[in-house]
Formats: sequence, C-alpha cells, structure tokens
Amino acid sequence: MARSKLQLRIAQSPVLSYGLAVLSVSVALGGALLIERLQLRNITLFLFAIAVAAWYGGSGAAVLALLLSCIGLAYFLVEPSHSIPYFVLFALFAWLVSWFSSVRRRVEAELETEISERSSLLNLTHDTIFVRDMSDSIRYWNRGAEELYGWTPEQAIGKGSRELLRTVLPLPLDDIQAEFLRTGRWEGELKHTKADGTQVIVASRWSLRRDEREQPIAVLETNNDITVRKRWEQEIQSLNQELAKRSTELEAINKELEAFAYSVSHDLRAPLRHMASYTELLRKKASSTLDEKCSHYIQMTLDSANRMGKLIDDLLAFSRIGRTETQKTLFSLTQLVREAVTEVRDDAEGRNIAWEIGALPDFYGDRSMLRLVLVNLISNAIKFTRTRPQAEIEIGCAEGNSDDLVVFVRDNGVGFDMRYVNKLFGVFQRLHQADVFEGTGIGLATVQRIIHRHGGKVWAEGVVDSGATFYFSAPKT
Amino acid sequence: MNTLGRILLVEDDPKDVELTLTALEEYNLANEVIVARDGEEALEYLYSRGKFKTRSSGNPAVVLLDLKLPKVDGLEVLKQVKSEEKLRMIPIVVLTSSNEEKDMVASYKLGVSAYVVKPVDFHEFVNAIKELGIFWAVINEPPPGSVRK
Repeated sequence: MARSKLQLRIAQSPVLSYGLAVLSVSVALGGALLIERLQLRNITLFLFAIAVAAWYGGSGAAVLALLLSCIGLAYFLVEPSHSIPYFVLFALFAWLVSWFSSVRRRVEAELETEISERSSLLNLTHDTIFVRDMSDSIRYWNRGAEELYGWTPEQAIGKGSRELLRTVLPLPLDDIQAEFLRTGRWEGELKHTKADGTQVIVASRWSLRRDEREQPIAVLETNNDITVRKRWEQEIQSLNQELAKRSTELEAINKELEAFAYSVSHDLRAPLRHMASYTELLRKKASSTLDEKCSHYIQMTLDSANRMGKLIDDLLAFSRIGRTETQKTLFSLTQLVREAVTEVRDDAEGRNIAWEIGALPDFYGDRSMLRLVLVNLISNAIKFTRTRPQAEIEIGCAEGNSDDLVVFVRDNGVGFDMRYVNKLFGVFQRLHQADVFEGTGIGLATVQRIIHRHGGKVWAEGVVDSGATFYFSAPKT
Repeated sequence: MNTLGRILLVEDDPKDVELTLTALEEYNLANEVIVARDGEEALEYLYSRGKFKTRSSGNPAVVLLDLKLPKVDGLEVLKQVKSEEKLRMIPIVVLTSSNEEKDMVASYKLGVSAYVVKPVDFHEFVNAIKELGIFWAVINEPPPGSVRK
C-alpha cells in the first residue's frame, strides 16, 4: 500500500512526475558517459550478478558477491593496480541494491501486516462480508461469510458470487447495477442458498470501490441474515390477516345475531301473545260450562305461554349483554349490593333472612351489568334458601391475587352436587326440577357472560343440603 | 267522565286488532276507534286522502302505532307525522311487541308520547290497553283540532 501511495502521489503531482522523468534520464546519461569513459562494458555481467545477489539474497549475499567479483576481476581481467575504481563502483552498486531490497522488504512486510490486521478485524464482526470484483469474482471472504454460507475462503475466493450463492435479486440485475454504479451504494433483500442447500434471506448492503481514475474495481458486500426475522414478520402478517378475516366474520355473525334477536323479540312474542290472549278469552266466555279438568287444561296452556314469554325475555336480555358495549366506570360495590338487595326485596318478603354484607371495595366496570350480576346471584341465594327456617346470606370480598378482585355470595340453602358444577353456568341448564325451584336457567349464564366481558372468571362451590358459594373475579383496573 | 277522543289504531295483525278492540270494548272505549292496517293507510287517514278522502275532519286524540308494518313502517310514519306542522301535536303511543332498546330510542328521538311493549299475559295486555285508552282518549286534554264526542 505504501508503494502505491507513493506512486499515486507522484502521478498526481505534475512537478514530481516530470521531475522524475528528467532525473532518470539524467542518471542514465551520466551512467552511459561513465561506462564509456571507464570502458565498463565487460564488467556489466558482474554488476548484474551483484544486483541479483543483493536483491534476492540481502546484504550478506551482496557482500559475498562483491568480494567474489573483485577477486575474479583482479585475478582474471584487470590489473590489480587498476582495479580499485571497479571495487569502489561494485561496492557502491551492491550497497545501493541492498538498500533498495531492504526497503522493498520492509514495505512488503508492512503491507502484509496491514492486510492481515484488516482481515482479522473483518473476521471479528458477525456480519457476512465479502469483496467481489467487477466480473463478480469473489476476492475476499470473511469468517462471517464462512459461518453463514458454509464455504471456506479457499472454496469461495475466485468463484462468481451470484453463481455460488444462487442469488435471487428483488429487481432485474441491470436495474440494480445501474443504480449501484450511479450512487456507489445499494441496499436490499436477497435470497441466497447456503452450502448445505438451505435458503437464507439477507439484508444486503453494497458499496463500490473505485481506483484513482474513478473506475469501479470492486464491490464490498455486507449481508445480515434476516431469515428468522422475515419468518416472524410473515407469520405476524398472516396472523393479522387471519385476525382481520375473523373479526369481519364475527361482525357479520353479530349482525345476523342482532337481526335474529330482533326477529325473536318481535315475531315470536306476537303469536305467543295471541295464544295466551285467545285462551284467556275462551276461559272467560266458557267459564260457566267448563268442568274442573278443562279449566285445568286452559290454565296449563296459559302457564306455558307465560313461561315461554319469560324465556324469550331472558334470552333476549342474555343476547343483548353480548351485543352492547360495556361502559366502564369506578363505582362503590357496597352501594350496588345495597341496591341489588332492595331490588329483590319482593322475593324475600315473609322470609327470615340474616344478611351479612362485608366490606366491599370500589369496582371498575359496567355498573348496570354488574347490578344484573348481583341481582341474579342474590335472588338465587334467596330462592335456594327457601326451605330454611333461618336463611343466611353472606356477601363479601375474598382473598384473590393482587391484580384481581374476588367477590362471593354465600348461602346456607339446598346447595348442589359438585359433580354437576360445570353445568351451572350453561344456558338453559338447571340442577333443580322446575316445580321445586322455578327459573329459566339463564340467570347464571348471564352472570358468566357479564363477568367474562369484564375479563374475569366465575366459579362455584357447593355441598348438597349445606349451601353454595358463588364467586366472581375481575381485574382491579 | 269526559268526552271520548277518537283513537287511530295502526296495526297490521288482525289478531292484534281483534284483541285490542276486545280490550277497549270491555271499557266502552271502542266506539271511536279507526283501524289502519299499514303505514300507508295511517298516513292516508291523517292526511285525509285516498280511501279516507271524505272522512270527517279533525285529528285523532291519540294514535296507537305498531312499529313493524307493511309498506310504510311505524318509524317512518312517526317521522312524517312529526315533521308535518298540522299533525305534529297529535300524541303518538308506540304499541309494539318489540322491547328492543334501539327501537325504543329511535321512537323517543322522533318524539313519541309513550312506548308500550305488549305484554304476553292477556290480563296485563287488557290492563295496558285499558289504561292507554282511558288516559289518552278520556283523561288527557288533546291538542286543539282533535275530534271529541
């Protein structure tokens, strides 16, 4: 590199370059005149020998060649008394050549150190780096390249890079090349095939190297393996698409459901109402002529119509919970429990109930939905303690983890068999016969749906004839 | 008792018409009931056109309006009545099977006087109709221009 720097300096400065020309010709002329004067022609072979020894052998060889030349000259060719100037000339020449030789060696050694230092630096990086010349032949191949692609520098250097790596370019090569030569840089994603045949995707950066005449001479290509990242990106993209598709589907289903609920609300209730009403009118008109059995039949028809009306109403309320947005605020749970207890007061009329309401925190959620949860759980507790002379209903806050709030409603009622606990929260699922404990089987399903919409859970514990406890949890914020 | 105001019942289902009239009859409120079987007929009556071109003048004391109607639906009837200067003061009571909140909200936004969901139970239904009839056709003082007997 030092030599080429010197060359470059000389070439770039007119004074130096013309000076060099004048100097070298002057030296040649001086030398020619000297040779003419001393009739040196017959000694040029000795000079050549000394030069070869000094250039390739170093200073030791130069001294030996000098001595041998002097002895040979004095013994065979020239009178020893006349040979002194030749000795001086030989010595001068030998010294000059050895000096040049040592300078060359030093420069070469420096160059080598520099190159190996640079290579080892490039080998330190995790990036894949190689240099290719303008005919795409690989000139340098760092350790990162070896690690990624699986070819050693010996295997790679000299090969065409695109052929070796089976490069797949994002654009036609000509387009890339045109931009690259114009700007000296290019960045893009490439597909390469490794030595073991597997494909990698790399983020590739090219920089162009030019010589002193601005001619492109080499390309430094730095590649980063982004195969895994790309795979994740693709995965995320396809997941996103899937999600978008699902949410569109869900929206459509929701719309359908809404239309269905509307239809149930309107179209199913009307005939039911007509059945009930005409049966009622029939009873009224024919009451005097109907016997007890007929009256009973009519009563059963009316009961069924009313029950179906109640079912439709509850089912609609249940479906509405899934369709309406939750409107979350922070409110006092104690206050809400009090309201819920007041609301179900009618159910508790004439009953002996010991209420125990513990300290309850504030709750972050949809107040009217939570009210429905509490009303359902409390009215259940009242219903299923009906057979107890002294009913006990406890509402409180249980120990949960730090993020969740756990609220429970406990009673000493008829309880339930834990074997059927998974049926409790299903729509239309009932654990009691209709004529023992009335109900539509939608209350706890509604509770579960509301709590799920708040990101919480519901569960229950019960022992037959010893009471039940219903829990729900919800995030504190 | 006060004089009886005219009731316009807008209802497409003949069974509902019969049941409503039966309920009103029980309390002698059925004499002054005009029945329109769809939204178009209701508007024809209110605007005294079509088959009601020659009807006696004056607005009904109350309109009992079903929402789900053939041709012109209840909400559309409501919209037209409330944007018409001569008709906008007529009290309109929505009487429907639907307890859908969005219908209720839409109706109130359009300015209904009341929204009643028809109860499944006949006793409750009769009671509701009776109370509606007595309140709107008898107790309530209708806006000027209503027909009274």
